[in-house]
Formats: sequence, C-alpha cells, structure tokens
Amino acid sequence: MTSRKRGDDAEISRLFHETGDEEIQGSDSETEDNLLEDEVQSDAEDYEVSDPPVVNPLDIQDVSEKDSETPERASPSFSRILKYYSKDVSKVDDAHKCCNASEVNKRTVSPSTILKREQKWLRMLNNWEAFMSKNYKKVRERCRKGIPASVRPKAWLYLCGGQLLLEKHPNEYEELLQAPGDPKCMEDIRKDLHRQFPYHEMFIREEGLGQQELFSVLKAYSVLNPKVGYFQAQAPVAAFLLMHMPAVQAFWCLVSISDKYLSGYYNPGLEVLQRDGDILHALLRRTAPAVHRHLVKHKVEPVLYATEWFLCALTRTLPWDSLLRVWDCFLCEGVKVLFKAALVILAGALGPAKVRKRACGLCETLEVLRHPPEGILGEDYLMYHMTRLNLTEEDFEFEHQRQTARRRAMPNRSGS
Amino acid sequence: MTSGPYNYSYIFKYIIIGDMGVGKSCLLHQFTDKKFMADCPHTIGVEFGTRIIEVAGQKIKLQIWDTAGQERFRAVTRSYYRGAAGALMVYDITRRSTYNHLSSWLTDTRNLTNPSTVIFLIGNKSDLDGQRDVTYEEAKQFADENGLMFVEASAKTGQNVEEAFLETAKKIYQSIQDGRLDLNAAESGVQHKPASPGRPLAAPPAARDNCAC
Repeated sequence: MTSRKRGDDAEISRLFHETGDEEIQGSDSETEDNLLEDEVQSDAEDYEVSDPPVVNPLDIQDVSEKDSETPERASPSFSRILKYYSKDVSKVDDAHKCCNASEVNKRTVSPSTILKREQKWLRMLNNWEAFMSKNYKKVRERCRKGIPASVRPKAWLYLCGGQLLLEKHPNEYEELLQAPGDPKCMEDIRKDLHRQFPYHEMFIREEGLGQQELFSVLKAYSVLNPKVGYFQAQAPVAAFLLMHMPAVQAFWCLVSISDKYLSGYYNPGLEVLQRDGDILHALLRRTAPAVHRHLVKHKVEPVLYATEWFLCALTRTLPWDSLLRVWDCFLCEGVKVLFKAALVILAGALGPAKVRKRACGLCETLEVLRHPPEGILGEDYLMYHMTRLNLTEEDFEFEHQRQTARRRAMPNRSGS
Repeated sequence: MTSGPYNYSYIFKYIIIGDMGVGKSCLLHQFTDKKFMADCPHTIGVEFGTRIIEVAGQKIKLQIWDTAGQERFRAVTRSYYRGAAGALMVYDITRRSTYNHLSSWLTDTRNLTNPSTVIFLIGNKSDLDGQRDVTYEEAKQFADENGLMFVEASAKTGQNVEEAFLETAKKIYQSIQDGRLDLNAAESGVQHKPASPGRPLAAPPAARDNCAC
C-alpha cells in the first residue's frame, strides 16, 4: 500500500501548484497555449452583468491596509468589489445591521452569467490535464469566483485528485468495504453516524441511506489507512462530501483531503494541528496585531479556538454558501485557504476595539470566536477579505519553517 | 462589564471528561439549558457552557469546559485541565469499556490539575437501566477508593444532573471556607469577584483582576 501511495503522491502533488500570489501579477499569456487563450478575455465578462457585491464593512482595521499585492489583478472582479466597497460603507454602519440582513450581504449572479461559467467549467473539465498543467492560474481564478453549483461536485472531484485516485483504483472502494475493519473503529464510527448534520435530509433518518453511506466511506478509509483509522473530525468532512457526490467519489475525495490537504492532522498526537495553530497565531501577528495582542494577553491559545476550524476544514463553522465558496478555493489551493479564512474570522470578530474591550477574558474571547457576527461569515465578506490579506506564499513558508523548527526544539511540548 | 460589581461573587472552572459518546455534552446542555439534545454534535476540541448558581447565599458562575472524548484529542485536551476547580468524570453505565477507562482519566486529572480540584464521578444514562453494564455498587466502590464524589445521572431525564454540578460547587466552596483552596494560587480554578453593592462579601476580594472571566 505504501508504494502505491507513493505513486499517487507524484500525481497529486501536481494538483497542489503552490503558486505564489505574486505570480498572478505576471502575464497570463506566458504559459498559455492557443487552446486556452480565449479563456482569458471571456472571464472578464462574467462580472459585467453581475450586480455589485455588497461587502460588509465591519471594522477590521487590523487586516492589512497596504494591500500592495493588488489582488484585483488576480481576478477582475475584485476591482469592482473595491469600487462598490467604498460606496457601501456609508450604508451599513455596523456589523449587526448586516447580520440582520444576511440577504443584503449576498451577491446575486445572473442566470446568463451562471450559464457562461458552467460552459467554461465544462470546457475546462474536458481539458483538465491541459488546464492544470498549463493554466493553473485560470483554474484558480475561476475557483475563487465560485464554481457553478451544477458542476461543483465534478470540479471538486477533479480538483482534489479524487478522480485520479478513482481511475487508478477502480475497485478498491468495494474491496475495502468487504474487509472486516477494526472493531474499535467500527464502534466509534457507529457512535457518530447520527451526529453529523442531523437536520440535513440526507442524514436525518437513523439507518437511512445517508448514514449507511457515511459509515461505508469512513470504514473504507479506516481500512485503507489504519494508522489514522477513524478520527471524529473526519465525519463532518465525509458527510459534507456525501452531500455532493456518490459514496465512492466522496471516499476518494476524503482520502485525498485526509492524506494530502490535511496531511498529519488526523494522526495520533495531533502534532501537525498544534504546529499549524502556532503558524496561524504567528500570521495573525502580521495581519491583525491588535487581535494577536488580545489573544496573547488572555492566553487564548489557537488549540482552544482553531481546532474545529482546521480539523473539520470549516464544515462545522461556516454557513452553507460561504462554506461552498471556501471549499472551491480550499480544494484548488490547499490548506492555506483555511488559514486565510481563519485570519479573516479572527480579525473580523475581534477587530473592533469595543469588542475586544468587552471580551476581557479567555472565555469571553472564546465566546466571541465561537459565535462571530454572521456578517463576517458571509460569503462575500469572507471571500473578499481573504484575498485582501497581505500574505504571500513566502510568508506561509517562512512561518511554516519557523514554527516547525521551534516545535522541534522543544520536544517536551508535544502532547502536553 | 469592564469594571465594577458583578452579579456573582465567584467563578469556578469545571471540566467534563470521559470517553466518547458517554454524554458529556448532553450533561452540559441539560445543566445549562435544561434540555436534552438527542443529536448533539460530537465535540471537536472543546465547547463551553456557563450558568450562575447559588451556594450558601453566594452567587457563583460556573464556567464549564466540555472536552472531546476520543483518545486522540487527549494530546490537546490536556491544556484544558489547567486551572480547573472541578472535574466531572463521566462514564456510560451501559458500556463497560467507558468505565474501564476511568483510571486513565483519573490519572490525567490528578496529574494535570491541582490537589484541591474536586473530582466528581458521574455514571450517565441511568435511564437505560435495562442495558446496564456497570453496577452502582461497583462504581461506588471505585469512587470511594479514590476519594471521588459519585452519582448516577441521566442527561436525558435530567435525573441527578443538577445535583452533580451543585454538589461539586458546594465542595469547592467548602474548600475555600476551610482555607484548603488558596484563592491566590494561579491555577486554583476559582476567581473571586467584587460583589454587587447590595451583597457585601465576608471574604476580601482575593485573586481580583479586571476580567469578567
């Protein structure tokens, strides 16, 4: 099994083009071939017909104002957002107004735009290899705009490499289900089946198809990767995938997410999770120093608020529409998308000085982070501010190296 | 809220620990909301609940940390133990394995809290007496041997839930009165708050800080 997985690594690693944001600023045409050239211009039209997005102007003064990276170049839509952003600031004066009118916070996309996007996505999915190898930036740009609902399941399957794994191991899922499975794992999975999105129609019925499929997917994973077995945080991820695709596809997506995207998160010891918590904390220091100071002052460790965000890839945190959009990017760009979302939530929730003043303790702060104002979890607010974070690939890499080294230097910290 | 009187005199920190699926979150919900949540999502990391109770005429805010039960989480849940004044250790009376693991939970608790931490053992799901896998006597003996308070309770019916949380608070309060629990200790799990004007306090406001938590 190990050797097989190693083979997959090479293929999947290609799916993780860790292109730095600054690369976006370079000319698109350099890497494009003729097949893809028409895609460049047509994308700009997408937003000509769409309504201006209303962005919740919550006070997040800590999120970098510099914004030297001009993310709008990454996607033409953002210049439009910026334009309307300033216009709408005067309309909504605080977070609560936006919370009460979540509809206000939602950008509408016209049916004709959706149709155009669907066609583009279908064309892209039909030439997937070419796009991923030669024009990844285009794929990323389209993911950032949001994948049309009709093609989303297929797009996710392709983006995360689930399709590759499925093609390579066409019968493996069924075979894994035949295995008896570790009794402890099976017992643990069964205990959690009725606790995943219990009000979703798919999972509402005890022993219903949804719960059966959830069991199968989690069981198959535990047999495939006995080192991880079953970890409780996988259940919401698997359930969320099952809401979009057949069990066998959901399974291979779960494999990819567990082993590649969130590699190490589910391993005993939760070392990687703790390290990533430290990375998040360090990045927060750059993007929102006042919030960072507040967390340090009240001893609010990342493991206290970010555990669920990371382990469940935000599936239990974000409202539906935002979750879909974040996952569109997450499956395209990897785990750093979760970091960005987390940074935006932190800055949005604790950015206003009056909120920090009120949350003058560990528990009060955690309470704010547990229930951030709805406005900041809204699709447009979140997506917009995630792109505006002034963080480069090198920043992530730098903190990654630094925190990894730091943890290595203090072995006693592990498991404590 | 930033300064001045509070509507409670003390804050006690509790943690709820025990194997997965024993009903830790349900006990918390039953205590804070007086409701049984059948489909309570399993805890990832830690959840919180608070409720203000009264012991010997003193208003006490209970700040309850509800932890994830799966073994793997113990790598991170250990940091939650810090500064707990009370620990509710829960097992499921219908699943012996959850009872068998108590000694390891107890070891963690003893190692990661301070000697004055009150540990209360709860045998949950007492409404499922027909499926009982652990007798009351057996658990009672375990509790006595280890100096734990003990009760069988049901998060579903609410039976004895209130008692478990309140008895723990009484015991902690008693420790404060006896001087066994040092309010000034950094991690006693108890904070003393200035009382509201109408309710003067006997004890001086030790461990006072400008934080409502």
